[in-house]
Parts: sequence; C-alpha cells; structure tokens
Amino acid sequence: MNPLENFRMAFESLWSNKLRSFLALLGIVIGVFAVTAMISLGQMAAVGITQDLEAVAGRSIFVQPNFNEGHDFSTAPIREEDLEALRSLPVEVIPQLFSSLQYESRPGQRRSIQLQGTPGDLPKLDPTSRIARGRYFSETEARGGLAVAVLSDRAAKDLFPGREAVGQVARLYYPGGTRLDLTVVGVLEPPGGIFGGLSSGATVYAPIQLIWNTSPTARRGEYAFVILPLKKGADANQVTAQVRRIFESRYGKGRYQVQSTESFQSTLRSVTLILQGLLGAIAGLSLLVGGIGIMNIMLVSVTERTREIGLRKALGATSGQIRQQFLIEAVVLTLVGGVLGVILAAGLLFLVTATVPFFKVYILSPATVGLALTVSALVGLFFGVWPAAKAAALDPIEALRYE
Amino acid sequence: MSASQPETVPVVEMRGVSKVYRSGSSARTVEVHALVGVDLTIYPGEYVALMGPSGSGKSTLMHIIGLLDTPTEGEYRLGGEPVRGLSEAQLARIRNQRVGFVFQAFFLLPRLTALHNVALPLVYRGLSAAERLKRAKAALESVGLGDRLDHLPSELSGGQKQRVAIARALVQEPDLLLADEPTGNLDSRSSHEIMELFEALHRQGKTIVVVTHEPDVAARAQRIVRLRDGRVADGG
Repeated sequence: MNPLENFRMAFESLWSNKLRSFLALLGIVIGVFAVTAMISLGQMAAVGITQDLEAVAGRSIFVQPNFNEGHDFSTAPIREEDLEALRSLPVEVIPQLFSSLQYESRPGQRRSIQLQGTPGDLPKLDPTSRIARGRYFSETEARGGLAVAVLSDRAAKDLFPGREAVGQVARLYYPGGTRLDLTVVGVLEPPGGIFGGLSSGATVYAPIQLIWNTSPTARRGEYAFVILPLKKGADANQVTAQVRRIFESRYGKGRYQVQSTESFQSTLRSVTLILQGLLGAIAGLSLLVGGIGIMNIMLVSVTERTREIGLRKALGATSGQIRQQFLIEAVVLTLVGGVLGVILAAGLLFLVTATVPFFKVYILSPATVGLALTVSALVGLFFGVWPAAKAAALDPIEALRYE
Repeated sequence: MSASQPETVPVVEMRGVSKVYRSGSSARTVEVHALVGVDLTIYPGEYVALMGPSGSGKSTLMHIIGLLDTPTEGEYRLGGEPVRGLSEAQLARIRNQRVGFVFQAFFLLPRLTALHNVALPLVYRGLSAAERLKRAKAALESVGLGDRLDHLPSELSGGQKQRVAIARALVQEPDLLLADEPTGNLDSRSSHEIMELFEALHRQGKTIVVVTHEPDVAARAQRIVRLRDGRVADGG
C-alpha cells in the first residue's frame, strides 16, 4: 500500500474522533505557536531596533577623545586639520562643541541646559535632525557667528513653557556668568522610537563660531566631538577602520574613540539573538509536553482499536504496515497541530505589527514556517514510535479475541 | 483419502500437525497440547464443517489453517505450498491472497461504509482506489447488498453485516473461505439467510470451512470434521 493511502486513512481516523483529536493536538498547537511567535517576534524586534537606532543616530561614525584613559578633552581635542583629513572619506563631517550653560527657569532660580555648537545646515547633513517649526540656521549664518539658536523639543518646552519658542530670545549664562542672548529660529522634532530617550535632552544648538567668540573656555579651531554620517553606499566597517587609522597615525593608539552605529547594532542584534534562543527553548518545552500528550492519546487509541488491528492483520496487513499506519496517524496529528499553531502565530504577529509601533514590519519567514512544521512532524514521529510499535506487536489472535 | 484424487492439489493438507502452548516459568512449565497429530485434507470446492466442544482445539486448528498461527510440529501446505519457516510478512501476504475470514462478531470497522469495509483487504495489495472500489462493489452485489454500498455498519441489520463481512472475504478471491461461528450472533431468520448464502457460494465452486458447534449449521456442509481433545475424531 502506498503512504498516501495511509495519510488518507489517518485523516479519516482522526476526523472520526474530532473532539479528542483536537484536544490531543492542542498541546502541539500551543508549542508550535509559541516557537513560531518567539522566532518571528525576535526577528521583528531586531528590525525595530535597527530602524529606531537609525532614526536617532543614522548610519554614522562618532569620534571623540578617549576620556576613559584619563585624557582631558582640552589636551586632546579634535582639530580643524583632523576634519580636513576626514573630508576625503565618503562621509559628511559635522564637528560639534559642547558646553553646559544655565538659564533662569524662574526669577532667581537657575537651571542647566546643554549648548551644542554645530556647523549649521544640520538637517541637510544629518537626516536624523528634523525641523518641526521654523528653520535651521545656515552655514553662512554659522560662519558669521550670528547669535541664533535652534532648540530641541525638550529645550523649547523648558525655556518657553506654553509659548511658541520661534522668534523669542533665549537668555543663557556661561558658568562664569557671561550672558548669551540667542534668537530662536527653529525647533526640532522630538526623536522617536525606543531610543528616543537617549537623545531627548534639553539642547540648544548654536553656531560653533559664536561659542568660540563668546565662551570663556572654548578655544578657536578645537572641537569636542565629530559625527560622520555615512554617504549612501559607503561601507560602515571599512570607513570606521579608515577613520581609526587617520587618528592613530596622527596621535597614536587609544587617544580617540571611534564608534559606529553599525557596531551598536551588532551588539544589540547579538543580545536579541540570545534572548530569542532562551525564549525559543522555553517554547520548545511546551512542544515536549505536547508530544507527551500525543503519545498518551496514541496509546489509548491503540488499546481502543485492538480489534481493528487484529482484523487488519487477519486481512493481510503486515506488522510493518500497522506500524506505518499508527506512525503516520501521529505525524498527521502533530502536523495539523503545527499548521494551526503557525496560523495562530501569523495572526498574533499581524496583530502586533498593526498595534505596536515598535514592530514596524511583519516577518514570518518561510524558513521559520518550515522549521515549525518540520519540528512538529518530528515530534509526531518521535512520540508515535512507541504506540506504533505496540500496535505492530499485537498478536492477531489475541487482538481479535479482545473485548 | 487423497489417493482417490491424486491429480488435484488440496487447498488444505495437514500431516501430523501438533500445537503445544507452553506457559509458566521455566521451572514449572505448563504444556497444553491443543492439537495432537492432526491429519486433514480439504480439496477445492469442498464445504467442510469443523465441529467440536469448546477446548477441543477447533479454534487452534482454524487459526493454523488461516495462517494466524503456525504448527509446533508437522507439515501444513496451503494450496500446495508449505508454510513452515515463512516470515510474518510472508504469512500476512499469503493470508491476504488465499484466505478469506468471516468472524462471529463480523468485525466491520464502524466508521467505514459497507463499500469501504469490503475494499479493506485490497488496500494491502497495492491496488488503486478506483479498482478496489470497483471490485468491492461487485462483491457486495454478489451477496445481494448492491443497494447498501454507502451504509455504515450501524445502519445495517445483523444479517446484512455478516453479508458485508462475507463480501469482504470474497473480494480477496481466496482459495479458502474460513468462517468462525458465522451465525453465532444472528437470529434464526438471519442465520438461515447466511447458510443459504454459503450454500450458493459452494455451488459456485468456492471452498468453505465453517467452524461451528451448532449441529444444524454443520448439517448443511458436505463433510463434518469432528475434533475431540486436540485429535480428529471423525471426518479428517
């Protein structure tokens, strides 16, 4: 007899016991559902993390003096000639300067706020900065050292609570008390995604030239930090290595820290992968429990159908054919459970994609589906072996006598 | 006896067949001699009744004839072929091709229709579904159930169930129809029906062995073989 025949028979037999078959395969449904959902949610989370990270940091390389090794920022700044060397690479060069200033939140009460010097035209250079209202100051304005400012969303709320910030004058004080009045020309969009919190501080963006002109401490021609957004098609790891070489050849090893969003991403991805593996293993346990349920129901089924087995043997079925029949029945049972589990998982993933903003794309890869179905078939095969062997070993005479 | 018909190959030919069941531990083995030196020859076209009180060994003899069991000693040829030393799978194949069983309790699969029940033995022959159903339909028609093809066993009377079971045996086109108390679960009217069917099959030239303890069932047969204490007492 051909195996197809056995599959048809298995379906008929399971169909004739609908409620019991359904209850038996429920364990497998839950197990496959859990495994499939875990794997796919992990993949979807990885994409979400990558995209969120790109939204706050873009595809960029960051260079800053290595503070960890005791090098003071002032002794190892990034200089104009370093920037010139970087301009030969496929990157935008956005040098920055930081300074902690204060503002009067209420008369007599001062609070700190971060002042960040930038080269102007930031949204053109770095796609992660988006203007919500007003405009960004231009490169020309920045070079001229005009007293203009763009506020982060947080800064706009802190400095001008309940008022439109654009067009106002922000009054700030350097630590020494020097006053700095800036005309607000624009406000940035708040950053989104799960990493938004990392860059949601109150920051005032002003021309670098202005800070050099007014700050009692900042020295002309020196920067604290440089962001290098990669141009389209540039290879992050390759360019990171080039940047590192430039700084090492100029200053020696370990003086500057060169990092890329790519390296953050790969770290996050490996963390995600480990979590995924752990959750998958837990989900796999439920498959084991489901498999034991299948074995139980198959053993009951063999006992109940003792006379059927005896009859089939009397009519000419070999032990091998009986074994095959029960094995296929177990496999069909778990495969049906697997299909239902995958369908349920697909539904959950769809729901999650539609309702949770972090999960931006729906991923249910053919590999995951294939794996889920293969595993469920193997569970049936594994847990069906014993009941099938029991059925095959029945003596037809005894089996026909069985009441 | 076989001397009178030397040119015909017997369907069943037994010489000195014994069956011993051993049970218990090795220290205190209990031996039950179910059959002792049985000689039995059944020719094609014969209608034989196998009689005997319970414990006489007639069930054991039937199981050996039907290849569900093998002799401990002696020679058994089915259709001229010795069965000694055959594997379980080989015995199953020969059962499928040469022996048609009819049981007292019918043994129809409750979830299958009459047609599919009858087609069941052919599943193990590797025939196509269409061919199986075609032959099953013909077999059911031959026992007068051409209008009950799609009925489930639960929708049939006792007599009809046994006729489905007989059709299931006939569809195999066996050398031998082996019936174990075929009327044991039937009322007298249905019993009569079944006995007439056996007689009709006998007239068509089928070889039939009926195991029974009912004298009036045995009386319909051409020859009665009586067993007592594992030996053929009469008619072998």
